[in-house]
Amino acid sequence: MTTLELFTNGFSVLLDPYTLMMVVFAIVVGTIFGALPGVSATMAVALGLPFTYSMQPIPAIVFLVAVYCSSITGGSITAILFKIPGVPSSAPTTFDGYPMAQRGEAGKALGIALGSSAIGGLVSALAMLTLSPQLTQAALSFSPSDIFAITFMGLSILTCLDSKNILRTLISGLLGLLLACVGQDPMYAVQRLTFGNGELIAGLEMIPVLIGIFAVTEVLKQTKKRETLKSDEGTASVNTKMPSFREWWGIKWVLARCSVIGTIIGILPGAGATIASFLCYSTETKLSKHPEKFGTGIIDGIAASETANNAATGGAMVPLLSLGIPGGNAAAVMMSALVLKGVQLGPLLLVNQPQYLSATFASMVVTNILMVVVAIGIAKVFAQILAVPYSYLGPIIIMLAIIGSYATNMSIADVKIMAVAGVIGLVISACHFNSAALILGLVLGVICEGNFSRAYTISRANLVTMFSRPVAGSLMVISIILLVWPVIAQFFRRSKEA
Amino acid sequence: MFELICNVLLWLGLLYAYCFNVLEAPIPDRVARNPYTLKPDMWPKTIIILLLICIALNIINIIRKNKNNPEFSLDALLSIRARMCMGIALVVGASFVLEPLGYMVTCVLVLFLYGLLLGQRHVIRLALMSVVLTLVLYVVFSVLLSVNLPRGTIPELRNFSLYVEGIVSSVKSAIF
Repeated sequence: MTTLELFTNGFSVLLDPYTLMMVVFAIVVGTIFGALPGVSATMAVALGLPFTYSMQPIPAIVFLVAVYCSSITGGSITAILFKIPGVPSSAPTTFDGYPMAQRGEAGKALGIALGSSAIGGLVSALAMLTLSPQLTQAALSFSPSDIFAITFMGLSILTCLDSKNILRTLISGLLGLLLACVGQDPMYAVQRLTFGNGELIAGLEMIPVLIGIFAVTEVLKQTKKRETLKSDEGTASVNTKMPSFREWWGIKWVLARCSVIGTIIGILPGAGATIASFLCYSTETKLSKHPEKFGTGIIDGIAASETANNAATGGAMVPLLSLGIPGGNAAAVMMSALVLKGVQLGPLLLVNQPQYLSATFASMVVTNILMVVVAIGIAKVFAQILAVPYSYLGPIIIMLAIIGSYATNMSIADVKIMAVAGVIGLVISACHFNSAALILGLVLGVICEGNFSRAYTISRANLVTMFSRPVAGSLMVISIILLVWPVIAQFFRRSKEA
Repeated sequence: MFELICNVLLWLGLLYAYCFNVLEAPIPDRVARNPYTLKPDMWPKTIIILLLICIALNIINIIRKNKNNPEFSLDALLSIRARMCMGIALVVGASFVLEPLGYMVTCVLVLFLYGLLLGQRHVIRLALMSVVLTLVLYVVFSVLLSVNLPRGTIPELRNFSLYVEGIVSSVKSAIF
């Protein structure tokens, strides 16, 4: 079957009113699930599974794909409005989204987040349909040293996150990398840095730490500001004005770059949407003409992370469909659901069951388009919550943080980790450390160490051999330049001033 | 001063971790003997060494910058507001009492007490809102999303949670 036939077949399936209705329902469910803290994309797909038991294979595929894509997007809503990343991949969205919401530009921030998500999702869907076999082969040829180099490039943002406080930002990033070591080492499962606490053996769960550092710290900071809490009225004016065409045009290259990077990262096994969004945020900080504005509330930052995390959803579908290898946890749940429906994932899918591939592609395209309309409606409802007095909103955020942390693994230990992370976030802020750098280190730490260890063993402890591959070598050189350049630039600036 | 104290404590904590707590189990023999493998303590130890250097530099920077600063004293520590400390105590406390008290009681208490802390003066309205919001959050997470929220380990409170859950589930079966 040719690509064009796959294209037309897929859309003919979606012309069925029942299937289309399922897509809309799935988008509503997925967006709300994604917006709720503690309900990850994996959990959203798992929660969506029971709905599909009585469905035919194609509506079931369409439904699950729509839940998957929209849950990633839904995470940005609470990230922007309450600084609670609904899903871990929305964490970089809080860096610029929340300051914009605080300025009363919640509508614009949400519009950028939803629009960027749609663009990222569409690009990756097209890549999935047209380049699946080629992209999969390319991704599978990546060695551990290549993947280490990619994650190291993500870490090279550290010196750029706050150019006025390079040392403190480096300390924050290193602390994040150290926190990622808590638990068992990725190669031999030897227990490290748990201080005898059995609850830490499994390592630090990402969601409680993110919720603690972002949401709880913010509420604790607000508790200190007595003067802002006197009012019994709403604390913020909610402007639901959407971004203009000019603003969209201004971020066209951000959207293009992050769509491509996000899709490629999504294809890599074990990487996924979280790594993609952090990596793209860091790349855009480096490439921007005004890197100092990142983190203060600019649309480029939101567009970078949201385009990337949705592009990664399509990317994750590539190895899943063409090789039967799930790229991440959510893709693994999708895989089990598709197998239940009789879908033969792998190279024979295109030969024996092309209708399923076309349905997946078409549902991704339609979901990403419809999602903008449906999610904007949901986001506008959420945005009105900002007008609730903070004496009600603050405690609700604390309770959502507690339930969200608990819901991840049904574990009280995660709630304690969240509370401690909240206090650490406050100390970090008081010491002028950088919480974004800490999270970056924590997110990339595990994948960075695991791949470094593997590459080290494969190259028989020879660092030169390790980085002699073209991809790894060139990425490492670029990363080191990016890492060192702000330090050198600052040195030159100071000597010039002197 | 707070920043300096935090940095010094962090430095000492890291030194302690480096010396005593990086590895809490012996490295398997085959790993220890293999020269081509990265030992499980190598990566964290490298990070700790880098951190010790960076934090030491940061401490020197802080002292140098505040050499002639009259406000750089222990008195500045008192500026940490009592309200924020109470907020921290509430959040940390809630994470510890969630298991024995269960979701229902913890949620009502957190919503009510944190509301008071944030300046809400309509006590009755706040109390009512706390109860209503507890039920709304329970319905969203437990009924709709099948999250098994903790019922508590204290028998009376557990029975209370089961009683409320029973009412919610009979309302649910009456609707559906």
